[in-house]
Amino acid sequence: VSPSLLFSQVLNGVVTGMLYALMGIGLSIITGILNIPNFAHGALFALGAYMIFTVISIVGDFWVALVLAPVGVLVLGLVIEFAGIRPLYRAGHDYQLLLTFGLSLIITEGIIVVWGPIGMSQLPPPVLRGGVDLGLTIYPKYRLFVMVMAGLLVLGAWLFFEKTRYGAIMRAGIEDKEMVSLLGIDVHRLFTAAFGLGAYLAGIAGALTAPIRGLNPFMGVDMLGIAFVVVALGGLGNLPGAIVAGIILGLAQSLVALVWPEASVAVIFAVMAAVLLVRPQGLFGIR
Amino acid sequence: MTRAWLAILAAVVLLPLVVRHAIATEIWIFAIFGLGLNLLLGYTGLLSFGQATFFGSAAYVGGYLLKHHGTHVLLALLIGVAVGAVSAAVVGYLCVQRSGLYFIMLTFALNQMFYFTAYQWTSVTGGEDGMPGIPRPPFLGLDLEGTLTYYGFVAAFFLLALALMQRVVESPLGTILRAIRENEVRAEAVGYDARRFKLLAFVLGGGFAGLAGVLYAMLFGIVPLEAIGFVFSGNVVFATLIGGSGSLWGPVIGAFVFIWLSESVSVIWQRWPLLLGVAFVIVVLFFRGGVVEAWDRLLAWRRRLGAA
Repeated sequence: VSPSLLFSQVLNGVVTGMLYALMGIGLSIITGILNIPNFAHGALFALGAYMIFTVISIVGDFWVALVLAPVGVLVLGLVIEFAGIRPLYRAGHDYQLLLTFGLSLIITEGIIVVWGPIGMSQLPPPVLRGGVDLGLTIYPKYRLFVMVMAGLLVLGAWLFFEKTRYGAIMRAGIEDKEMVSLLGIDVHRLFTAAFGLGAYLAGIAGALTAPIRGLNPFMGVDMLGIAFVVVALGGLGNLPGAIVAGIILGLAQSLVALVWPEASVAVIFAVMAAVLLVRPQGLFGIR
Repeated sequence: MTRAWLAILAAVVLLPLVVRHAIATEIWIFAIFGLGLNLLLGYTGLLSFGQATFFGSAAYVGGYLLKHHGTHVLLALLIGVAVGAVSAAVVGYLCVQRSGLYFIMLTFALNQMFYFTAYQWTSVTGGEDGMPGIPRPPFLGLDLEGTLTYYGFVAAFFLLALALMQRVVESPLGTILRAIRENEVRAEAVGYDARRFKLLAFVLGGGFAGLAGVLYAMLFGIVPLEAIGFVFSGNVVFATLIGGSGSLWGPVIGAFVFIWLSESVSVIWQRWPLLLGVAFVIVVLFFRGGVVEAWDRLLAWRRRLGAA
């Protein structure tokens, strides 16, 4: 393996890892605050990718689409929470799982009905086409942009959680919903907001991914399992944990792809299994 | 109990007269699969969203042996049960370390690991195309290639599995598992190692899934990639819940409703998973209490309409 190839695979791993972290953070917020298994998280990711594709084809501008597409997913998230999940707060995980799994089937099959079963590709915006010479290798501009953009989003999420009043309420909601409710905070609004925020992060991760990996209706399902792994390793509601777990998984995947491309997806789950054997509580969990 | 058994026997006899043999056979296979899940879901309170892992692994191994080595049917089924149990032991060991939502997510994530392995290992599994050409060798002079003969063969295994599961849930083990479901801390305090019993439930459930997997491969002569995919895991959870996870008979009723409905709908529209998703949402939102509660709701709704 040449150094330049190795270098670009490490960069690829970080880009992928940041996207995994975004997915994991969104899922972690939803799962942690609402205490539900969100099997629709991957479908929301796929929807983000297809929405940016369609908005670009209508408006013709990537930047407008990058703003609008995730907002569309956010709105759908709010509707799902309000109409679907709210009646099931006390229903038990089995029914919550069936609801989100059913929604995931509806969104995935809906994508096939609307956009067709065949994969599609999406070009990056003109400014971000081509590569940058980084010395060791020439690296695609768009991927560097995704790295920065995902980094900013993760940082933004972290600042929101740690430094704002609303973020503090969300953290408190993960710790103890009853106490938050006793303090006079409307937990139902908190739940809706949390689901919306998580859906937004999934949507923007999908939108950013589209020009890198293209689109196919089942992209969300593949991402769902990975998002679960990020949460299982990083811990519920643990943002730094999600980032570390995401980047470890991204790097593992892109480096294994160099030597054994067929195993590059399975390695994500193998890493998880290995970590859980040694640390059943995840990377940062305390027993 | 005996009444329920008579009903089951009657259903076994009458079913092939009413629906196509392949569908009738698939119903009992799915029921075996559901019985295994229900030991986890209904009796131990463990929501496993990865049962296809054990079903699919066994289907591939059993199918491979039948296809390439001409293994005896009973041996292939036995090995399938073993593969299901062993894969469930491995997955279960990792999953029972955690509880609640983590547990559910881990069962799904490990299911994905097996899925991607099967997807990429094309030389053995055929990847996306599946593993075709699985024979149904004769058994004790019976030609299993005949659809009705094979139906009888599967139905016999189903009855055996049902009797076995009844023994399990009515045994002291079944009581311990229910105690863990009701209150894990209390079960621990009484002196039972909850994790070890959860793992045992996993292994038993995996064995049932393995048996179902090999029977499924023989039924269709192919192991499709979906057999190890998460949609199968979701379907068996759904079937068990609509049948009622509280009782031994729930997954049997669920398998009947689910297979019959999905087979009827899938011939009408290729995108039937969309309708399946809609069915999930509607059942969960409006019919959670089962048929009885749904009826009460309908009456209340009509009364409200009348008042307005």
